[in-house]
Amino acid sequence: MFLAPALIGFTAFVVYPLFRSAYFALTTYNGLTDPKFVGLDNFRRMFTTDPSFWPSVRATLLLVVLYVPLSLIIGLALAVFCNQRMRGVGLLRTLCYLPVVLPVVATITLWKFVFNPQVGLANQVLHWLHLPTSEWLSGDDSAMPSIVIVMLWSVGSTMIIFLAALQAVPTELYEAARLDGAGSRTVFFRITLPLISPIMILQVVLQMVTALQAFNQPKILSPDNQGGPGFSTRTLMLSIYDNGFPRLGQVSQFGYASAQVWVLFLVIVVVIAATARFSSIWTYSDHVS
Amino acid sequence: MTTSPDVTRAPTTAPKTPLPAKPRGRAVRKASWYATALLISSVMILPILWMLTVALKGPSAVFEVPPKLLPHEFHFKNFIDGPKVIHFPRLLLNSLVITGLSVIGGVMTSMMAGYALARLRFPGRKVWFYVFVGSMLLPPVVGIIPLFQLFKDIGWYDTWLPLIVPAFLGGNPLFIFLARQYFLSIPHSIDEAAKVDGAGHVRIFVSVMLPITKPAWITMSILAFQMSWNDYLNPLIYLYSSQKWPLSVGMASFVTQFAGQTPDWNLYMATNLLYMLPPLIVFFVAQRYFIQGLSALGTVNQR
Repeated sequence: MFLAPALIGFTAFVVYPLFRSAYFALTTYNGLTDPKFVGLDNFRRMFTTDPSFWPSVRATLLLVVLYVPLSLIIGLALAVFCNQRMRGVGLLRTLCYLPVVLPVVATITLWKFVFNPQVGLANQVLHWLHLPTSEWLSGDDSAMPSIVIVMLWSVGSTMIIFLAALQAVPTELYEAARLDGAGSRTVFFRITLPLISPIMILQVVLQMVTALQAFNQPKILSPDNQGGPGFSTRTLMLSIYDNGFPRLGQVSQFGYASAQVWVLFLVIVVVIAATARFSSIWTYSDHVS
Repeated sequence: MTTSPDVTRAPTTAPKTPLPAKPRGRAVRKASWYATALLISSVMILPILWMLTVALKGPSAVFEVPPKLLPHEFHFKNFIDGPKVIHFPRLLLNSLVITGLSVIGGVMTSMMAGYALARLRFPGRKVWFYVFVGSMLLPPVVGIIPLFQLFKDIGWYDTWLPLIVPAFLGGNPLFIFLARQYFLSIPHSIDEAAKVDGAGHVRIFVSVMLPITKPAWITMSILAFQMSWNDYLNPLIYLYSSQKWPLSVGMASFVTQFAGQTPDWNLYMATNLLYMLPPLIVFFVAQRYFIQGLSALGTVNQR
């Protein structure tokens, strides 16, 4: 009885859509007439004729490659930095976490204006520092890095998790290492890093899944709201959205969008599986349970 | 009764031992720490401060080249005009209703499911637990098109129901997981005592468990609040009429709707500040529980 709402919801909102979307992927379906079975045609179209598919794969992978390592490194560095006994460290933690608390749309729109090439803060700061300015979101090559910067501004969420992991490391280990004369670098790479490696792996998976499904940032930040300029920030999620829920006057392509959903889903499954496989090699675990 | 399960005990300030250093080295270390801290803080806070100054600028000052950091004259009227232009009160009301209901629904059903999985004996409860945990890994994107079709077929398109009802049916797998962990840590003697006194499961859940698990469901409520307040994709898909939009869609549309035309950024930023206030208030009021909850996540996953 206590489980009933969850079970109904699970069937209706998880199991049913899963099978339904697998079926849609094999049909042409516009949401108005009945789905028509076409086998793998959607996938053939995606891989061979759709001019926007491969660019969107490229944009998605670029986002992952830029965002995931940076968010982990910066998140961990901030956590280590904020894990020291200093006056005002609490304030610093709060400031780092502040962007995470703010509504996502509010921060994205704020950054859209920060990146305004003429009157935005970003170029103004570069100007003060006598550095070359940038076109930011309207440049082909700078659009995706700009989006990554916006996403990295919320690195506080990663930092908090790492901070909790760091504080769970037993103090005795540090003391023992210090008695043995280990320097801070040795302590970090030989003790801290191995001990927090399970959390690290979890974060790798979570951040990859986040980056692969990024939607809000490229949608709101791109000048045309469709992943421009060109295809530079048109991620797979944007492509799925545009095909499935197009602007007024265009026909939805639920079948084709579902096929893209499955490509994205399979990529996510592969990423998780590969990370799980990989993690058993290099994470530390004491087999005492 | 002050049972505080281990899972949620927040790690207090770092018991980290400073590495041995010479006095002069320590001073240098300290100075460089503060310099770095200042740099980090300014990266975090500068865009927000700048938003504040833009919110106070007049319409022409916003587009000055090069931009001035401080406004020449303060236009406090932006905080009145902006919300009017963007229809802020209506959007706020919509957001409050949608978020309020989905928080209540999500937390309630997740707590119930967590209770069942942790403390009731029924066939297959282990299996259900793994099914729920497994569904945490299932990316939400898989369901968007069939769900859209489903909700459209039952006439829920352009209503708030697709945004609220799912919360009442199963809530969030992450919350179910958290609730289960929490319930597992509560000693069985407590509900046995209640059972001896003649209480049923509903009674135990409401009058014994809910008070004990306060940190757990407060954390969930804050997370659920943030998720719903932040949600942009779902309202964008399901809500056609702008009268029903929540703040996320309404605010974004003010920035994105003007094809080629620039929005009044000063009015927008003033309203944006108001949009940020509710989550900020929630966060600072319940910060203690929130940090606890997040640390619980970190440690739970580690074990």
